[in-house]
Amino acid sequence: MKTFEEKWTAWLDDQLSGRELSEFEASLPDKAAAHVEKAEAKKLGELLKRELSAHPLKNEEFFSHQLRERIVQESGEQRRERAPRSPTSSWWTIPRLLWAGTTSLAVFLICTVFVMRQERPPEESQYLTQILNARVDPVVSPNGTVSIFEVKQDRVTVLWTEGLQTLPADYAAK
Amino acid sequence: MQTEATLAQSDVSELDLVKRCQSGDTEAFDELVTRYRTRVFGMIYNMVHSEQDAWDLAQDSFLKAWKSIGRFRGQSSFYTWIYRIVMNVTIDWLRKKKIKGGDAEFDDSIQLREIDPASKTVPKTEALPHQAMERDEIRARIEKAIGQLSPEHRAVILMKEIDDMQYHEIAEALGCSIGTVMSRLFYARKKLQSLLRDVYENV
Repeated sequence: MKTFEEKWTAWLDDQLSGRELSEFEASLPDKAAAHVEKAEAKKLGELLKRELSAHPLKNEEFFSHQLRERIVQESGEQRRERAPRSPTSSWWTIPRLLWAGTTSLAVFLICTVFVMRQERPPEESQYLTQILNARVDPVVSPNGTVSIFEVKQDRVTVLWTEGLQTLPADYAAK
Repeated sequence: MQTEATLAQSDVSELDLVKRCQSGDTEAFDELVTRYRTRVFGMIYNMVHSEQDAWDLAQDSFLKAWKSIGRFRGQSSFYTWIYRIVMNVTIDWLRKKKIKGGDAEFDDSIQLREIDPASKTVPKTEALPHQAMERDEIRARIEKAIGQLSPEHRAVILMKEIDDMQYHEIAEALGCSIGTVMSRLFYARKKLQSLLRDVYENV
């Protein structure tokens, strides 16, 4: 079932015929006014066609050229997006793995030997021996005390003296 | 519905060109663009009233057509199919423009500024300056009146009156029913008749 608007439009565009046309025209309250409006609609159509149908596209060739460029650009981007990622690098081949393993082992051994040499406890210095063997003369320094702090790992020795009147001759390093 | 294709161009059928496009032939697509670019541009221009915007939207429409040409099944003509893309692109653009508040369709100064005095509607060899001015004014009146229609009503009246498209073709291009097309046509005509009566009565 067509609405009035649909029938009116079809009537204006001469799309009604036969029974449909006669029924519609019979239903119009003012047939003369309707025909005037139909004529006006035709004039409007002609005006629009005359004034709007000829807007030119300037630089037609440039339009196509620009479009081609965009298509090429877009296609390139799409290809890059679709392209499968490069296969995983075959750098870790068996010979390379063996080479890397051997090298790592050699480096490990060198480092181990070096570290072990470094960690060998140093021989007690002559200076320290003198200190340990020294005695504080209680007559000369009745309140004298000598303390020794030693961290062999760090090769640090601290000699802490208090209340000495004179430094024992034995303390002098030779 | 006529195309701008010449007889020589028509030697290669539209369907053949479409098939070649679907297999990635850009030259075939170029041929289709050459056939329809003027009409597509003209239609968009009448919708947006700006040459630069019409150019960009026509470019976007053709690019979109190229991307989706694989989905064209040949159930309608290529022109109707591409018109659907054109209308989607243009109507979306008009809606966004309106939402952004940049819709200057009713601004007289802009309307007049955008009219190209050298446009084809002014026959340079025949029209006198005052006649050219008169035509510019008429055109400005028409564009202003069309600017008062919604994008959908604009599309319908332009496709019907300028491109002589049938109701079913317009419906296909806009993705709506024939009844909706006829109804929109009814209201668009009524509106334009009320706005342009003095123009078409006196021209």
